[in-house]
Amino acid sequence: MQTLQQNNTRWHLKDVIFLAIIAIFFGIIYQLWGYMYYALAATPLKPFANNLTLGVWLMAGPMAGVLLKKVGATFLGELLAATVEMLLFSSWGVSTLLSGSIQGLGSELGFAITGYKNWDKIGLAFSVLTSTIVTFGWDLFSNGYLHYQPLMLIGLFAARLLSVGFFAGVLVYWIKRLLDQTGLMK
Amino acid sequence: MTLNPSVLLIVLLGIGFPMAFTQSIVANTVVCCIALLYLITHHANLKTIGLVTLVSLPLALGTGWSFIAFGTGDVWQQAWLQVSRLFAYLYLGMTLTLTTKVKEMLLSFVLHLHLSPTFAYGLLAAFNLLPRIQRQVKIIRYSANLRGITYHLWQPQLYFKAILSAIQWSDDLAQGMASHGFSEGFPRTMTYQDKLPKWQWLLAGLLILIYLLLSLFL
Repeated sequence: MQTLQQNNTRWHLKDVIFLAIIAIFFGIIYQLWGYMYYALAATPLKPFANNLTLGVWLMAGPMAGVLLKKVGATFLGELLAATVEMLLFSSWGVSTLLSGSIQGLGSELGFAITGYKNWDKIGLAFSVLTSTIVTFGWDLFSNGYLHYQPLMLIGLFAARLLSVGFFAGVLVYWIKRLLDQTGLMK
Repeated sequence: MTLNPSVLLIVLLGIGFPMAFTQSIVANTVVCCIALLYLITHHANLKTIGLVTLVSLPLALGTGWSFIAFGTGDVWQQAWLQVSRLFAYLYLGMTLTLTTKVKEMLLSFVLHLHLSPTFAYGLLAAFNLLPRIQRQVKIIRYSANLRGITYHLWQPQLYFKAILSAIQWSDDLAQGMASHGFSEGFPRTMTYQDKLPKWQWLLAGLLILIYLLLSLFL
């Protein structure tokens, strides 16, 4: 008989559906932000708008990581979110998938540094740091950041660190704390 | 000539990844033109294409303008390059999302790109919940409003309640699918078949190669 047993290394149907539903939920919640971003994005301040809101897009990965506590959960969580984003919400298609992979890789790296032992504050802090650096490295090329003035670059990096730190770090930690209190994730 | 979704994905990734590094406005423009041609010949919804283009115009303006305002070196070249890249990514992405149904796409990835059926069917199951998930977000926000509370996007409550629903629904759905005979990690009988002649893989390689050559020399 086919039963739904849980072991912590393989990916189960339940995990996939769980992460996909979370990704859809987050996608819908992100749409509420859309207008604010759009107003800023039509001006030369667009790179700042991108960096200040970037953290929101990076939440799904670390959220999946701290919820499922599996090797690869962060990367796959972010990739799934990007897939959902591509198929349901955005017309950016392939670039969503590419940036999702880069973001997932960056976030996953932080948990890998702790040897996948810390899924709490320390793991999240590392994840914030690595994802900020990795995604910024990608944007140096893909969004042409290399061609901005140095002072602008420092400003953009600071904005990104702030945004990722709050959304993919602090906010994810707050959500995790609320969930821990319910005892449902055990 | 309709390309298989798996071939399209490989073309999109094969061109999309190097595009982040290339510096050729000409190559990006060629990509835009070919992608648009593919879209038009495949009866993609012209209204959608027009609307998305219109919505992206202010974003393209912001991108280009930021290089003119804060760039170094040849700022106009950079501005046009980034604008052309933005539209190239946009139309390239649409060749897949506007010509193929989600189900066809995922099943094609299972057949030809070794995507695990657990992921394909899991994603499909979740996508079918989209209207319910949209309603649930409204319910969470409205019921908080009734109690005189507003959930802000920078507070954890809205996400927390969404995740609680996700836990419950994913459990129910997975059990429902298992009781309908979905077996994880077991070979499946695929009733769905699609066409993928070998020449399409050759064409994919050729298109990627042409893009790389164009971006290097033009």
